[in-house]
Amino acid sequence: MKVQPILRLKNISKAFGSFQAVKDINLEIFEGEFFTIVGPSGSGKSTLIRLLVGMDDLTSGEIYLRGNRIDRTPANLRPTCMVFQSLALFPHMSVGQNIEFPLKLKKMAPNDRKQKSLELLDLLRLPKSFYEKRISQCSGGEKQRVALARALAFDPEILFFDEPLSALDYRLRKTLEKELKNLHLRTGKTFVYITHSLEEAMVMSDRIAIMRGGEFEQISVSDDIYERPVSRFVAEFMGEVNLFEVSGTKKLGLKSENPNFHINCDPSKAKLGLADGIGGVLVVRPECLRFLTNSESADFVLTGKLKAEYALGSRTQYEIETASQNIITVEKLREDRFMGKEGSKVTLGFDAESAHIIEEL
Amino acid sequence: MEKLDRKLGFFSSIPLGLILAISFLAPLFVVALFSTMPQKVFSLGQLPDFSSYKLFFNQGYYKSLLWSLSMALISTAILFFICWPLAFGMAKVFKKFTLVLTIAVVMSLFVSENIRLFGWSLTLMKGGLLEGHLRAWTGIALPSLLYNTGIIIFGLVYVYLPFMLFPLAQGIAMVPEDARQAAADLGANRWQILLYVDLPLSSPGIMVGSLLCFVLGAGAMSESKLLGGQSVIVIADDIETAFTFGQNWPLGASLSMILIIIIGALAIYGINKIDLDTVMGRKR
Amino acid sequence: MNSSKSTQIILFIYGLLVIVFLYLPLISVGFASISKARYLTFPIKRYSTKWYMKAMESETVYAIITTSLKVAVIVTVISMIVAFFGALAFARYNWRYRGFFQKLILLPIFFPQTVLGLALLMWFNSIGIIPTWKTAIVAHLVWIAPIATLIVAIRAYSFDPSLEEAARDMGASTTTVLKEITLPLLMPGIISAGLFAFLLSWGNFPLSLFTTGADSTLPEWLYAKMVSGYSPLVPTLGILSVASSFLLVLVCIALISFYRSIQNKIN
Repeated sequence: MKVQPILRLKNISKAFGSFQAVKDINLEIFEGEFFTIVGPSGSGKSTLIRLLVGMDDLTSGEIYLRGNRIDRTPANLRPTCMVFQSLALFPHMSVGQNIEFPLKLKKMAPNDRKQKSLELLDLLRLPKSFYEKRISQCSGGEKQRVALARALAFDPEILFFDEPLSALDYRLRKTLEKELKNLHLRTGKTFVYITHSLEEAMVMSDRIAIMRGGEFEQISVSDDIYERPVSRFVAEFMGEVNLFEVSGTKKLGLKSENPNFHINCDPSKAKLGLADGIGGVLVVRPECLRFLTNSESADFVLTGKLKAEYALGSRTQYEIETASQNIITVEKLREDRFMGKEGSKVTLGFDAESAHIIEEL
Repeated sequence: MEKLDRKLGFFSSIPLGLILAISFLAPLFVVALFSTMPQKVFSLGQLPDFSSYKLFFNQGYYKSLLWSLSMALISTAILFFICWPLAFGMAKVFKKFTLVLTIAVVMSLFVSENIRLFGWSLTLMKGGLLEGHLRAWTGIALPSLLYNTGIIIFGLVYVYLPFMLFPLAQGIAMVPEDARQAAADLGANRWQILLYVDLPLSSPGIMVGSLLCFVLGAGAMSESKLLGGQSVIVIADDIETAFTFGQNWPLGASLSMILIIIIGALAIYGINKIDLDTVMGRKR
Repeated sequence: MNSSKSTQIILFIYGLLVIVFLYLPLISVGFASISKARYLTFPIKRYSTKWYMKAMESETVYAIITTSLKVAVIVTVISMIVAFFGALAFARYNWRYRGFFQKLILLPIFFPQTVLGLALLMWFNSIGIIPTWKTAIVAHLVWIAPIATLIVAIRAYSFDPSLEEAARDMGASTTTVLKEITLPLLMPGIISAGLFAFLLSWGNFPLSLFTTGADSTLPEWLYAKMVSGYSPLVPTLGILSVASSFLLVLVCIALISFYRSIQNKIN
């Protein structure tokens, strides 16, 4: 039996004048999923989420919630809810009044309302004393939790998030990412999250969609996106990556124009080969490269000069310049640090299983 | 830096501070003194006897005050309802038209209110722009629309419209758009957004606008003179008469004092409640 | 949130109606000013410009316009200077009595102007000054200088104080900073404050009423004629006064956009 999606987008488009912000998108999101849409600014992700919650109207297409069409329903009548980038907490109401706002609109009795909002404060690990607090007295992280509590009070079918963590400092963001994931597990709700940070998405999400120019570039689980990006754009979107230009040979092999890049294996066996005359890039993450001593070898080997070394805390990053002046990035755990002098010649290698090939026409 | 700021702040406040001290605070003080003088004196050299304040009650001047206050109140309420939709449009809906409206309304402020009210009397009088043309085209003659209480309130609404419109528009512009969207997203309909978000969050603007209209309306005189034909005597009219025709400065001064105290108390209360820095958009 | 198309259209029509409401009386005055008859009734039967000719020839008219102009020009100049400093004290510098100063400035605006005029009359009388058009300048300033200050203050709020700090950091003295940074940045505000000051003074009646003594400004003269009975010169002069105000505004707008277009070309 096929599982019915909780949210289904069918050929969704949104145009502002002649500009196509969202281009003919199809998507299915399933019950209980933590689904994240990632894209740079201008990719159309904010427009898309505004369409999904009903703040903007579609130019064309259909949206179904549990099989019921909702794209003509105004935002206030949709059983979904969003946590805003600015959080949009009502400054003239106390924390408790903010959380109770949706309950008040649903005409819940005052005592039940208070009961419910105290439960939610508890769920979000805020002390009960916060009930009376003014919004202006809350810190950034506390406001974040209040906004979540208010959204959960609404008891939405789907909870949308519009980059709610982007304004916070790094440490707080990391903490809240984990809390959100945890909250998702505890509530069992469907979360749809948008962000420009793939790192953030990977911490929390079940599935990730990469958006670019109003379209989805790739939709998959986070491991896939990291290890098997479908395009150069996706590969480069997530942190550091090394891309080697290659082209296909007969019998699905590979060759490189670069004289310092040696292929010591049969790419076709590792499913890395390309057909003759087809171009592509070989994708290797920095932590998959290793420094080779004279006696060692690897499936792919290249040489260059150690140009710079950066301490990143638990890891150390190296930049190696090849003879053709490409920069290769390598990362090692701090305990496996490479002890080389800057300017010295080094040999790098990586294995076929840690590489991925992207075909480019 | 802070020290310099304090010094510069103090020095730059001096010119305006001096003007207000010499020609605002000092005159008010003189009015207060004059209001205690015996009847019909023209200097402050007498012993105070507060006799004019008794006249306020004995000779029915309180009626004029009540007329002024109630007409100001009614016109303020009407103005609020008339201006809200337009102010909302200016703050949230219109784009270029906001500028057009702003310029049009401000330009009307530059026309002496006498001329504008005179224009209304030409428009509404018997044989005026409206009635004259109506009679010429349809033959129906209407009684004059002038010289009653309603027309005075109409005049107040007309003259003080900008004083309600701009503060309201400013107040509504201060309502964050995402707070409105969040309320809608949480299930609020149009009226619930108005009630729970728009009205409370634009309250500084509502207060400034209402206060201005009420206070200025309570002290207004031209509307009753030019449109109302003195069908109602307002307090400002009494004050003027006491000074000119009555030649009784202490009476005029005491009536002024009563009006000043009411208006001043309201104004100070209102001004204290709003944070000017936020209303006017201070950055830090 | 996008308001629906129909809401937009209804609000737009409503806005147009309000503009008509604001200007309808001026249309009546305009028609009245070109009616030939000495006693006005609508519909107007014969049009003529003879009242404009009469107004041009009249020496009284010349005198009251001169008085009005003198008052308005002096009020404008003083207001611009006072407002520049006042706005800095209002919006820019953090000094001890800033809150009090802000509230003091607002009070005259919230004050009935007729009463203010009378209070000034008593004050001048008790210190032995006989009211003339010069005292009217003081009266106008009490109300107009605070408004001008607020207009400049809005501009002062919107500029970044770190610009001044940067200049000072590079060694500029306090006066240099004021002259080279603050004044140019506030200039647009000061100019519009000046325009407001001129026009508000030009059209003001309640403050002039008791403070001009034997002199008379244009709005005062019009008021006297209005309450003492109809004079065909009233609509004529009213329209001339309004037209000159609007002309001034238009000239200013034209100058500003001309200036902007030149600046754009330079950049």
